[in-house]
Amino acid sequence: MNMYVHELKAYRKSTMIWTITLMAIVILFLLLFPSFSRDAEQFMKVLEGFPEELKKALGLTIDTLATILGFFSYAFLYIKLSGAIQAMNLGLSVVSKETRDKTADFLFTKPVTRVQVMTSKLLAAITSLLVTNIGFLVTLFIMVSIVKTQDYSMKALFMIAITLLFLQMIFLGLGILIAVLFPRIKSVISVSLGTVFAFFMIGMISSSTDDEGLRFLTPFNYFNDQYIIKNLNYETEFIWISMAIIIVTVFASYSIYRKRDIHSV
Amino acid sequence: MNVIEINHLTKMYGKSRGITDVSFSVEEGEIFGFIGPNGAGKSTTIRLLLSLIYPTSGSATIFGKDVVKFAPEIKKEIGYLPSEVFYYDNMKVIDLLKYSASFYKKDSTKRMKELAEVMELDLTKKIDDLSLGNKKKVGIVQGLLHEPKLIILDEPTSGLDPLMQQRFFDLLEKENRKGATILFSSHILSEVQRLCDRVAIIKEGEIVQVEKISQLKQNNYKKFKIETVSPMSGDYFDLPGVNQLDVKGTTTSFIFRGDINTIMQKISTVQITNLWVEEPDLEEIFMHFYQREE
Repeated sequence: MNMYVHELKAYRKSTMIWTITLMAIVILFLLLFPSFSRDAEQFMKVLEGFPEELKKALGLTIDTLATILGFFSYAFLYIKLSGAIQAMNLGLSVVSKETRDKTADFLFTKPVTRVQVMTSKLLAAITSLLVTNIGFLVTLFIMVSIVKTQDYSMKALFMIAITLLFLQMIFLGLGILIAVLFPRIKSVISVSLGTVFAFFMIGMISSSTDDEGLRFLTPFNYFNDQYIIKNLNYETEFIWISMAIIIVTVFASYSIYRKRDIHSV
Repeated sequence: MNVIEINHLTKMYGKSRGITDVSFSVEEGEIFGFIGPNGAGKSTTIRLLLSLIYPTSGSATIFGKDVVKFAPEIKKEIGYLPSEVFYYDNMKVIDLLKYSASFYKKDSTKRMKELAEVMELDLTKKIDDLSLGNKKKVGIVQGLLHEPKLIILDEPTSGLDPLMQQRFFDLLEKENRKGATILFSSHILSEVQRLCDRVAIIKEGEIVQVEKISQLKQNNYKKFKIETVSPMSGDYFDLPGVNQLDVKGTTTSFIFRGDINTIMQKISTVQITNLWVEEPDLEEIFMHFYQREE
């Protein structure tokens, strides 16, 4: 418990910054919606001139863009991008911090098991992500209720928005696993930016080419907003894959972490 | 009873050597010195005892319990001070000490104040702003806070001024009188000589010798350097007990073991301009050890 609180405190500042940033993105994007929907016709005409692949890559779907859900899901692509960076950063730094700051000796000579240390760190990271998601969801629903032009499915909106948390959990697990595998990471941000952008690019390529195989490779495309809006459901196989990734990365991290030598500095 | 028992402990880092077949034991209530040059394997042995790293082969027990299997349980009664202390920088000293104390089910607020007072440590400062010596003090207080039954020190005195070193040794002796066992690793022979009952000497990953300090003291090594008025002949100081004799013109140096009076008498018969008598450093004694072995 003391370690959990300690970790939470350590990430208090960065959690606040990420949460506020995501809230600001939501507010800014949705403030654009009223003027956008007013001139939707003209926008559509401009957009129709865009190449089909580009539209897909950017997540623009003409027929839904004028609705609040469609508009939001366009903005959501970039919220997911920031969210993924936050989660990956968190996962990497929560584990590699002890090595980088050379505090591992302090922590691991205390009467605690490695499993307890990892669990505290994992729970603190999840808490931090939950705080961000709650901030994001609350802002989103308030903003949507302000700027909406017609009724929308709250359920669909929630189902789309909550996929941010799913995506973040995947990247958190990935971050933790990478940090456990490479304990001497010096710069967390370069690793997380690199990894997340790589997946993001694959996501864009996969969207623009409609390549189903490629879709499995990038968590960014596991949850298709259009599919959720239409069916009010997730695609089962991708739910399974997400869960599998989270479980495997976390489990592997635990088992490596338990046996790893903590080298002196 | 043996507090620490090490049986044929070996640690390889890949193909490079950590320690090879190390065995020794530390009795309850003892201050046990662990000396050797840098890179000899002192820290490796200590990190194995603390299960920071895991042995390639062999085993060790503390309080009769296997160090790997019962690590968290054993560590309740261990205080550890590493050679280099690093702590969470953006914390205050008091917060770090409280965090450290929170791992043990004891109320140590009073003891924290006492220790901080003895070591003249300002609890309200940020760890960031502390000098190396002051960080070391944080380490000392942190390590002794929970009144551990076994205190493990890995080259603990670096960065401390002589006064603080003295206070620290006093603290250790007080803990020892209260019943704590101490494992003290160092490459400085004099501090080990002063504090410890027995020593294990390690070199290149292997234990060379385990000896009582009283025994080592009988082997009273001194390093002599003499500057004479006129050049010396090479064999003037070639007495029994003289080692590593080096004569360069008017400068003569050697390591001597035995009755110091014989050397002093010898020196008194020549005109000298300068004289240094020093404790040889460990490396020099080690060389002697190996020469004896061959």
